[in-house]
Amino acid sequence: MRQPTWLQVEKRTSLSPWVVFGVSFAAIVAALLAAGIFFKAYGVSPLRAFQLIITGALGSKVGLAETVRRTIPLLLCGVGLTVAFRALFWNIGAEGQLLMGAMAAAGVALFVPMPEVLRLPAMFVAGFFGGALWALIPALLKVKLGINDVISTLMLNYVAAFVMQYLIQGPWKGPTARGFAYTDRFPASAVLPRIPGTPIHWPTLVLGVVAAVLAYVWVTRTRQGFEIRVVGENPDAAHYAGISQGKVILMVMLVSGGLAGLAGVGEAAGIHRMLLAPAKLSLGYGYTAIIVAWLARRNPLAVIVTSVLFGVIMAGGDVIKVSLGLPFQLVNVFNGLILFFLIGSEVFMRYKVAIAWRRR
Amino acid sequence: MEWQSWVVSTFSFMLSYGTPLLLATLGEIYAERSGVLNLGIEGMMIMGAYSAFVSAYVTQNPWIGLAVAAGVGCAFSLIHAFASITLKANQVVSGLALTLLGLGLSGVLGRTWGGLPLPRTLQKITVPGLSRIPILGPSLFEGQTLLVYITILLVPLLWFILFKTRIGISIRSVGEDPATADSLGVNVKRVRYLCVAIGGMLAGVAGGYLSVAYRPAWTEGMTAGMGWIVVALTIFAFWNPITGMLGSFLFAALYHLSFRLQPWMSPELLRALPYLFAILVLVFVSRGTLQRRMGAPAALTIPYTRGED
Amino acid sequence: MRKRFAGVIGLLALLMIGALAVSAAEYVPGSPLKVGFVYVGPVTDYGWTAAHDQARQICVDTFPWLETIYVETVAEGEEGATIDKLINEEGCHVVITTSFGFIWGTVDKAQQYPDKIFLHATGFLREPNLATYMADFYQIYYLNGIIAGALTETNKLGYIGAVPIPELKRHISAFALGARAVNPDAEIHVRWINEWVDPVAASAATRALIDEGCDAFAFTEDTAAVVQVAAENEMISFGHYSPMYVFSPEYCVSGQIAHWEAIYLDFFQKIYDGVYTANNLKHVDYWWLLQEEGVEMGCDPGMVINPAYEAQLKGIMFTDPVLGEISIYDLVMIRLQQMSDPGITFDPFQGPVYDRKGVLRVPAGCILSFDELTQMQWAAEGIVGAWPDEP
Repeated sequence: MRQPTWLQVEKRTSLSPWVVFGVSFAAIVAALLAAGIFFKAYGVSPLRAFQLIITGALGSKVGLAETVRRTIPLLLCGVGLTVAFRALFWNIGAEGQLLMGAMAAAGVALFVPMPEVLRLPAMFVAGFFGGALWALIPALLKVKLGINDVISTLMLNYVAAFVMQYLIQGPWKGPTARGFAYTDRFPASAVLPRIPGTPIHWPTLVLGVVAAVLAYVWVTRTRQGFEIRVVGENPDAAHYAGISQGKVILMVMLVSGGLAGLAGVGEAAGIHRMLLAPAKLSLGYGYTAIIVAWLARRNPLAVIVTSVLFGVIMAGGDVIKVSLGLPFQLVNVFNGLILFFLIGSEVFMRYKVAIAWRRR
Repeated sequence: MEWQSWVVSTFSFMLSYGTPLLLATLGEIYAERSGVLNLGIEGMMIMGAYSAFVSAYVTQNPWIGLAVAAGVGCAFSLIHAFASITLKANQVVSGLALTLLGLGLSGVLGRTWGGLPLPRTLQKITVPGLSRIPILGPSLFEGQTLLVYITILLVPLLWFILFKTRIGISIRSVGEDPATADSLGVNVKRVRYLCVAIGGMLAGVAGGYLSVAYRPAWTEGMTAGMGWIVVALTIFAFWNPITGMLGSFLFAALYHLSFRLQPWMSPELLRALPYLFAILVLVFVSRGTLQRRMGAPAALTIPYTRGED
Repeated sequence: MRKRFAGVIGLLALLMIGALAVSAAEYVPGSPLKVGFVYVGPVTDYGWTAAHDQARQICVDTFPWLETIYVETVAEGEEGATIDKLINEEGCHVVITTSFGFIWGTVDKAQQYPDKIFLHATGFLREPNLATYMADFYQIYYLNGIIAGALTETNKLGYIGAVPIPELKRHISAFALGARAVNPDAEIHVRWINEWVDPVAASAATRALIDEGCDAFAFTEDTAAVVQVAAENEMISFGHYSPMYVFSPEYCVSGQIAHWEAIYLDFFQKIYDGVYTANNLKHVDYWWLLQEEGVEMGCDPGMVINPAYEAQLKGIMFTDPVLGEISIYDLVMIRLQQMSDPGITFDPFQGPVYDRKGVLRVPAGCILSFDELTQMQWAAEGIVGAWPDEP
C-alpha cells in the first residue's frame, strides 16, 4: 500500500483494551457528529439533540430504565452469540431461538398444572431448552449434512415466527383476548418481578450478567473452551488434535440457543406478560445481538458493555421520536452510521497511524 | 380444466414475483463468488425501490426509474465494498449496517411519496406466437413485463461469463484463493469491487422493479424482508446462476401457493412453507459427495491483504 | 459555602414541589388543552395511522386552544414509557392511544395518573379517566357488498384480510350479507396475509383470488395494492380507510373512509367545556357509525359511488320484499339513508342470520348487541376460506 512519506502506518502487535475502547468511543462520537447533519436538516440544533438523547437515555430514571430494559435481551442473546461465533458457527437464528424460548415459557405459564412456586423456574428451564432445541436443528444439519449455517438459522427464524403466529391466532388464543391475537395474560405466579416503577425484570438481568461471567470463564479457562477456540481459530489444528468439530458445534449451539431462549422468557414473562405477535414480542433483538456480539470482539464479558451501548442507542431512538419529533426512520440511519464509523475505526485498531515529523 | 388453471396461474405468478428475487440473487452470487458477503441486499433493494419510484414519477418513464435504481444500488453497495475490501472490516456487520442505512434513509426520504399512484408503469406484453402454446403459453408468455424476459436471458449469460470466460475464472479464483490469484496477476481488489458493484446494481433494479412494475407505488419498507430471502437463495443456489433461477422461481411458486391453499391448510403454517422447503431441499441435496463440489467460495468473508496471512 | 449549598438545595426542592404540583394539576376547562397521540404506525402509511393523524390536524385547525403532539411507530409494551414522556416532559393533559394492543399500558397509566384524561381506540376497559372509542365500517361494508354482489359476473367476490380479529370478521360478514342479499349465489373468498401493512403479500393474495375466479375485491390492508392489482386485471375494488379513487378512477367503485375527527372534535370540545373530566369517563364509549358521521361510504370524500358506475347500477333491478322492485343504486341509497338517519331503521345483522355452518346467530326480529358485534368470531353464509378460531 503506497503511503505518503509523512504518514507512518504500522501494524499493531498487541491490542490493549484501552485502545479498543478509546477508538470505539471516538468512532461513536464521529458518527454522532455526522448525524448532526440530519438534525440540522430538520431544524434541530445538534447540541440540543445530543443533550436530550443523553439525558433521555441515561439522565432520568425513566430513560435509564428504558435503556436497561433493552439491554437485557441483547445481553443474553449477545453472550450466546459470542460463544457461537468463537466456534465460527454463524448463528443468525437468535431471533427464532428467542421466540421459541418465549413460546416454551408461555406454554408452561398457561397450560401446565404445577405447584405455583415452581412455575417461574420451570418457565426458565423450558425457555432455555426451547431455544436450545431450536438451535440444535441447524447445528445437526451442519454437523451431519454439512448444510450452511447462515441459511439454516435464517430460515428457521421465519418458521419460528409463523409457528408463534399460528399459536396465538389459533389454539393458544386467550378467551380474554376478545378475538385478538393474544394469549391470556400470564397468571401472577408466572410473571417476573420488576424493579418497582420500571419495566426492568431483574431476574433476567441477573441471569444475563451471570451468563456473561460464566461464559467468559468457560471459553477462556476450561478445556471445552479451549476446544471451542481451537475449532474457531484453526480448524485444521483442531482436526489433528483430535477435537471433534461436531461435538463442539453442538455444544456451543446448545448454549447459544438456550441463552436466546432465556431472553425470550424475559420478554414474554417480564415485559409483556403474555404471548403476542412475534414482531411485537421481539424488536429484532436477535439480529441486533449479532452486532452486539461482534462489537464485543467475541468476548462474553465485553458484551455487558456493548449491550448497554445498544440499549442506549435504542432508548435514544425513542427520545428522538418523542422529544424531537423527528421521523422515527432516522433511528435506523443513525444506527447504520454508528456501525459504519465503528467499522471504519477498526482500521485504527489494526494499524497504528502516526505522523512522522521528519521525512524518512 | 382445474389443474391446468392452477399451473398457468402458478407459473405466471412465479415469473412476476420471482424476477426481483432472481435479479438480486444473480447479483449476490457474483459478489459472493468473488469472496465478499453482502448482507445489505435489503438496504440496496429498498433504496432502489425508492429511487426508481421517484424518478419514474418525475420523468413519467419507468425505464429511467430502473436505470436510476441500478445506479443508486451500485453507489450504495460501494459503501459496503469500501468497508469490506479496503478497510477490511467484518463483512457481516458491514452488510447489516448497509441494510439499516438503506431502510432508514429510504424511510426518511420517502415520507412524502406514499399514497401516490405511478401514472406510467412497465407495460405488460404478450409474446406473439409463443403465447399460443397450450398451458405453457399463457403461463409464461402472456402478461409479463419485458424486464422478466431480460432477467431470464441474463441467467445463461451470467452463467457463461462466470464459468466459461477468463473474467469468470478471475472472479472465482479471487473468491477461492486470492493469494494465488494475486500472484498470477489478478487485481484482487478491483475484481471484488466490480462484483460487489454488479450485485448492487442488480439489487437496485430488483427493488426498482417492485415499485415500478409489480406494485407501482411507494410504501416504506415495501421490500418486506425480500433481501434476506435473497441471501438464503444465493446459498440455496450453490452460487450458480442457473440453480439460482430455479431456486427463485421455486420460492415464488411456493409463496403464491401459500395463499391459494389457505382454505385447506392453516394460513400461518402455509407461509412457513417456502422457508421449510429451502431447508428440506438442502437436506436432500446435501447427501453424498454432491455437496462437496458445490460449497461456498473458500475465501468468502475473508478480507485479502497482500503479504499477510 | 454551606449556606449557598443549602440555598441551592432549598431552591431545587421548591422547584421539584412546584413541578409536582404542575404535573399533578387537573385540567381547567376553558384553558389551552394539550393532547398527546400515541400511534402504532407511521403517519405516512395510507391507512390507519394516516387517518388518525389527518383527524388530529383537522382538530388543530378547528380549535385555536388546542395543541397536539404525536409519537409514531410505538411498539406494544412501549406505550407506558411513551405516555410517561408525554405527560411528564411534554405536559399533555390528554393522551390518546390508537391501537388495541396498547390496552394494558393505557390502563396502567390511567390508574397511575388519575388527573389526566385517556382515550383508547378499540378498547373495552374503562376507568373514571379512561374512555374508549371506535368508528366502525360494518354498515358500509354491507352496502359495498350489495354493489359487489350486483356487479360480479363470476359470483365470486374476493376479500383480502389483514389479521383475523373480530373487527375484520365483522366487516367480511357484513360484506357477505350485503352481497347475498341481492345475489344469493355470491361466494366471498377470503385470504389472510397476517400483516396490517404488506403490499407485496396483498398483491400476491389478490392474484391468488383472481386465479380462483374472483372479479370484485374488498380488503383490509393499509396500502392501495389490492386496488392496483384488481385494476390491472380490469376488476372492480372497494377502497379502504383512505381515499383510493386516485389509484384507479376506472375500477374503484366505492369503499370506506374513516373520519376520526368526528370523535376527536366531540371529545376535545367536551373536555374544553368541562363536560368530560377525569372523573366521569367510566361509561364513555364511542361506537360511532354512519349516523354519527364517524365513517363515510365511498372511495373519495363526497363520492358515495363512482359516477362511472351509476348508470350501470341504476340499470340492475332487484325485488326487495319490503321496498318492491328498485334498482341496485336506489337500494344502496335507501339503505344508506336508513342507517344514517337519527332513528336507525336498518341493520346489516338484523335477524334471521345464519353462519356458514348453519347455526342461527341472530334470531328473527333481533339485532346484535355491542358485545356480540365486537367479539364476533363466526363467518356468515357464503364465506369461503380459512377462518382461524371459528366457533
